[in-house]
Amino acid sequence: MADTIDIRGHGVVKGYAEGEALVADTTLSFWGEVDAITGKVIGVGHPLEGISLGGRVLVIRSTKGSSGTPMVLNLAQLEGNAPVAFVNVEVDGLAALGCIVNEIPMMTELERDPFELIATGDHVVVDADEGVLRVTRK
Amino acid sequence: MELTGEQQAVLDGSRGDYLAKCMRWLVEWGEVMGAKRLIKVDNTHALLPVPNLMAQGASKETMDRYMADLVEACSHGTHPGCTCTVHAAFVTLDDVDVPENDPEQVQMQKDLAVLASDAGFIPTFTCAPYLVGNVPLKGEVLAWTESSAVVYANSILGARTTRHGTESAIAASLLGLVPEFGVLLDENRKGTLRIEVTAELEDPPDWGALGYFAGKAAGLGIPVFNGIRRPSQDEAKQLCAALATSGGVTMCHIAGVTPEAPTLDAAFQGDVPEDYLTFDAETLKETYESLRVRTGDEIDSVILGCPHASINELSKIAALLKGKKVAEGVRLWIDTARGTKGNADRMGYTEIIEAAGGRILCDTCPTNMRIPAKRIVTHGFKQAHYARGMVGAEVIIAKTDACIRAAVAGRWLGDG
Repeated sequence: MADTIDIRGHGVVKGYAEGEALVADTTLSFWGEVDAITGKVIGVGHPLEGISLGGRVLVIRSTKGSSGTPMVLNLAQLEGNAPVAFVNVEVDGLAALGCIVNEIPMMTELERDPFELIATGDHVVVDADEGVLRVTRK
Repeated sequence: MELTGEQQAVLDGSRGDYLAKCMRWLVEWGEVMGAKRLIKVDNTHALLPVPNLMAQGASKETMDRYMADLVEACSHGTHPGCTCTVHAAFVTLDDVDVPENDPEQVQMQKDLAVLASDAGFIPTFTCAPYLVGNVPLKGEVLAWTESSAVVYANSILGARTTRHGTESAIAASLLGLVPEFGVLLDENRKGTLRIEVTAELEDPPDWGALGYFAGKAAGLGIPVFNGIRRPSQDEAKQLCAALATSGGVTMCHIAGVTPEAPTLDAAFQGDVPEDYLTFDAETLKETYESLRVRTGDEIDSVILGCPHASINELSKIAALLKGKKVAEGVRLWIDTARGTKGNADRMGYTEIIEAAGGRILCDTCPTNMRIPAKRIVTHGFKQAHYARGMVGAEVIIAKTDACIRAAVAGRWLGDG
């Protein structure tokens, strides 16, 4: 039996998406640490190095860094290799802008600790319109 | 967010679909970031780059759609009275004989530059617009891309800009508006982290080290430095670039130095924290060492001018290189804005640098261009940080004189 839980939160950028979770209690700069075409993390020594973000629900502390964030997201999205949703503890304005422009939902302010409750590989439904994450353990 | 009748009309399509989309980006972004209104913007620094190798392997459809968006953006005039400059590109518009400067992409960038300038964007193609005439006054409202320039504008100049991305800077340039949030408001310019500096900071990269340390510690906050002298323009440039590299910093204060921090108390708006971090000589050394992890001392690249070199830096580099020769097989490139290179040409610096086997690269930088390199020596913490992932190189961060010694020897010789 799949174990499913709902976590309430705030939908920063509205929308609905679902996919496999990629979870790391870390920050990530799309500029310089993510390849825009393959969607793979290329930051040397980054906890997600070598992993593709394509199609994943990206559960990280926050994005950081650069003005290039929306551009990298835009190219990755055109290639089908962008995350399908962002779940962040802190909202970085540039990732929010990238999500708005590319219509990728983003959630924050979860009522419970996402790093405890969501594991990489879990199936996550992100309903940023209703402010709910539905997590099904793998 | 409350819109004026005119703003609502643009959102509803009174000026066409594209400007309606631009307005939607600004409004939705403002709502996410807690803005209550849109305010007038005086000055923008926008990103209008063809992707060059960043889009290596992309489908033709991706490229076409990406370019169509930029062409569309440049087919509308910039807002009257708004100064609009353009960020560094991913190619140089000069003929440079390396495969990484893809001629097809260069032509696309040239075509786009014509459209952009017709629209009112000044094609500065630089990451340091404040070195080539875009020098806003204290209190001026901006919409700048390039995180390092954002930190410089807010902290050193006392102008006000949140960190912008491609679409928001384009929208601001065309509509003359930005959502009012973050550091555009007084209360959000208050220091959040106190850093007492006891290390002697002698050279621009020392200030880069301070920024790299502080950015990591401050995250999205506002570090306040206490106990340091006024930096030179080049030192301030390194400090701001490094702050924006290791963290998501939008501004800093230097107590007794920067426009909004006549005192430590003012930097914290009267609320000076008891707790502080110390940046001492040992921390300075460790910060350099963190960007010197390497498996050997042979080098193939020395990259200077990150952020884009000032005329003073080009003068210093020319003096260090005069009468010397860069080692066989070493690429010595100094990145700068085309406007600055014009001055370097007239001062004779370009001739000295080229006679030594170096090159001044305009409009872009080797990291943006993805020039292949195995081991890079650089004086820019930002360059050192990003070159590892983007170019896959080992890096050695060093002061400018040590960088030049390495370029001439073909190997890292230490700080000297």
